[in-house]
Amino acid sequence: MNTLMTRAIQALMVAVLIGAATFAMMRALPGDAAYRIAAGRYGYDNVDTAAADAVRDELGLGGPALPAFLGWLGDLLRLDFGTSLVTGQPVIEEIGHQLGASMALAGVAVLLSLILGPPLGILAGLRPGGVLDRVLLVVSTGLKAVPQFLMALILILILSVQFRLLPAAGHGEARHFILPALALALGLAAVNARIARDAMARIGAMPFYSFAQWMGLSPRQTLWRHGLRNVSVPLLTYLGLQFVTLVEGVVVVEAVFGWPGIGHALVHAIFSRDVPMVQGTALCLGLSFVLINTLIDLVTQRIDPRRAA
Amino acid sequence: MSLLKAEDITVSQGGTPILHPVSLHLEPGEPLVILGETGSGKSLLAQAIMGTLPRDLTARGRVALGDHLLDAARPGGFRPLWGRQIAVLPQEPWLSLDPLMRAERQVTEAHHLVRGLGAAEAQAQAASDLNHLGLTGAGQRYPHELSGGMAQRVAIAAARAGGARIVIADEPTKGLDAARRDEVADLLLAELARGGGLLVITHDLALARRIGGQMIVLREGRVVEAGATASVMSAPTQAYTRDLIAADPENWAPRKPAAAGLPILTATGLAAERGGTRLFSDLSFDLTEGRILGITGPSGCGKSTLGDVVLGLTGASAGRVEKAAGLTATAFQKLYQDPVAAFPRHQTLGRTLADVARRHGQPETRIDTLMPRLGLAPALLTRRPGAVSGGELQRLALLRLLLVRPKVIFADEPTSRLDPITQKQVIDLLCETATAEGCAIMLVSHDPALVARTADHVLSLGPAAANADVTAPRVVGALQ
Repeated sequence: MNTLMTRAIQALMVAVLIGAATFAMMRALPGDAAYRIAAGRYGYDNVDTAAADAVRDELGLGGPALPAFLGWLGDLLRLDFGTSLVTGQPVIEEIGHQLGASMALAGVAVLLSLILGPPLGILAGLRPGGVLDRVLLVVSTGLKAVPQFLMALILILILSVQFRLLPAAGHGEARHFILPALALALGLAAVNARIARDAMARIGAMPFYSFAQWMGLSPRQTLWRHGLRNVSVPLLTYLGLQFVTLVEGVVVVEAVFGWPGIGHALVHAIFSRDVPMVQGTALCLGLSFVLINTLIDLVTQRIDPRRAA
Repeated sequence: MSLLKAEDITVSQGGTPILHPVSLHLEPGEPLVILGETGSGKSLLAQAIMGTLPRDLTARGRVALGDHLLDAARPGGFRPLWGRQIAVLPQEPWLSLDPLMRAERQVTEAHHLVRGLGAAEAQAQAASDLNHLGLTGAGQRYPHELSGGMAQRVAIAAARAGGARIVIADEPTKGLDAARRDEVADLLLAELARGGGLLVITHDLALARRIGGQMIVLREGRVVEAGATASVMSAPTQAYTRDLIAADPENWAPRKPAAAGLPILTATGLAAERGGTRLFSDLSFDLTEGRILGITGPSGCGKSTLGDVVLGLTGASAGRVEKAAGLTATAFQKLYQDPVAAFPRHQTLGRTLADVARRHGQPETRIDTLMPRLGLAPALLTRRPGAVSGGELQRLALLRLLLVRPKVIFADEPTSRLDPITQKQVIDLLCETATAEGCAIMLVSHDPALVARTADHVLSLGPAAANADVTAPRVVGALQ
């Protein structure tokens, strides 16, 4: 109960802070917002002073900042996210549409990273300093060091251009998932594997791990019954934090692969100064961070009763 | 026929021998105690016999276990015997149970997976084991919800569930107070009464005396003396054994009571609680220059909390602490239990001490004057905390306190991690410090003998209700 209360307060603070920060940043961007919004609405070739002025008048862009922000906050309390300045559609509908696509991509990426990273990490952690451990250290450091856009391009070059195995872009079929999900998953798995490796090495060196074997359990039984359960707690906790990396990656990877998700939408909204869209999208990402970490808290408290205290 | 026979066991590290040939045999119903200080090789001997040595150490020698003949050089051969022939009791029971698994399940899995009972039968057997050990109703608790003594019993049940007849206990009483120590000794002996074998590795003379049977005394990887425990303890033939036995607080000469100096602090009607539980109430005492106040009581009774109240680190829930006029907060200092944790790891000791001296406006020459008085070689100052022994480090910790010119030193179990001989040195120094520096010392120890022979007056704290445990006699009675 305590957890939920704390998290609810956090969610509220996140909402206010994100709203204020995005609002201030959007105001601070150079250039005339009216021109950008007009360009978003009518296309760059059709923008002229008249169109920009029309937009400015319609949206009241010249007004002072504080009332506009308080207005947004007031609407938010009524669960009204406003309408997009570009399309005129309610923000909530636009986000709802894009969020599904992003969650599917992120979900596949996390699943893929969990299949790749932790098992290798645990195997390495069982024999710290062994061959697998050393190779994994090099590979995971290397993978982590490659930025996501570069990873995406490398994968496209190798798998789509060179071997023509997979489509470089597109959306709708299962095979379209593979490249963007892999581009995200490799970076995540690199870190997952390290976390799992360190947790396994630490737990393997604990007295209870030896004691389970002295009791007569085989190494495999000890790993399954005592190792994995204990490794899962730091791993899950880290998974919650990895959400930040994931969001960052989703924005980049969606742009590279033309994936119609929330990251893609965020980039476009920023270009066309679509403040309600930016605020709505950022808020949505921020709140899902709180939500995911709350869920992970609840799950780890269930696994590890010491955390509930 | 011997249950276990080990011949010419040696252990070496990269070609350097660290345990010289030792042979031993374990008879049914007669315990064997291996006594030694830290670094004497006693744990290595046990690990060589069980095949659990760390990878970088190699053992040689032959071990006969029932019908099995094993080569100590090939630890893999021991593995199938773990739990089935040899039960190994862990040092620190709390750390030896899986923190995420309920107590009864940890016993059940040994019955099920090691002994091969069916799932339902294993569970019934585990429940009955725990009942016998006086742990009725505790099976559904997690290890952190058990007291140290209870965790020890769960670990014993789990270790023996596989059906092993030989029990090897490596420092089974580490960190336990006197009452719990006797309880563990009685439990081990009760197991022995069923016709098993028992090998106990310890540095604790009281435990050795209680276990009895045969004894091997080790020092620096060599056997110093061997024989029946009772005769070795009463009439040691070797000088080292005599020193070791003389260092047992039971055998210390009582300290001469100090003349009362100026009063430093008066506590009246103190009470404190932790997590809503009353730890102690209505405690009144005085601290005066040069005198030692001993504080004893079982773990969890509030000894450390009392120290925090006196030092002014935490408030009392009732009562008053009146300090003599003119004393600053830094006149109240604490000597910690684990000296290694009380020093910055990556600084040389000289640097740490010089920093403290400078911070408190003391000339650095005071370090040089104090060093020989505490029996410390100047060369130690160039080292880091990891590179000096525990006894030296605790004396350096005392030196660091003295740089601050304290009036009250709260020494919280200052020797519980030290060997008996080192313990005696450190306690003697602490006593001298009280007289020489004119400060009052509050000496906390779980060892009533140590406190009785050192302190001018003793404060005995009762057990806190929250930690009330099943009493030893009942448990042992249930076992027999």
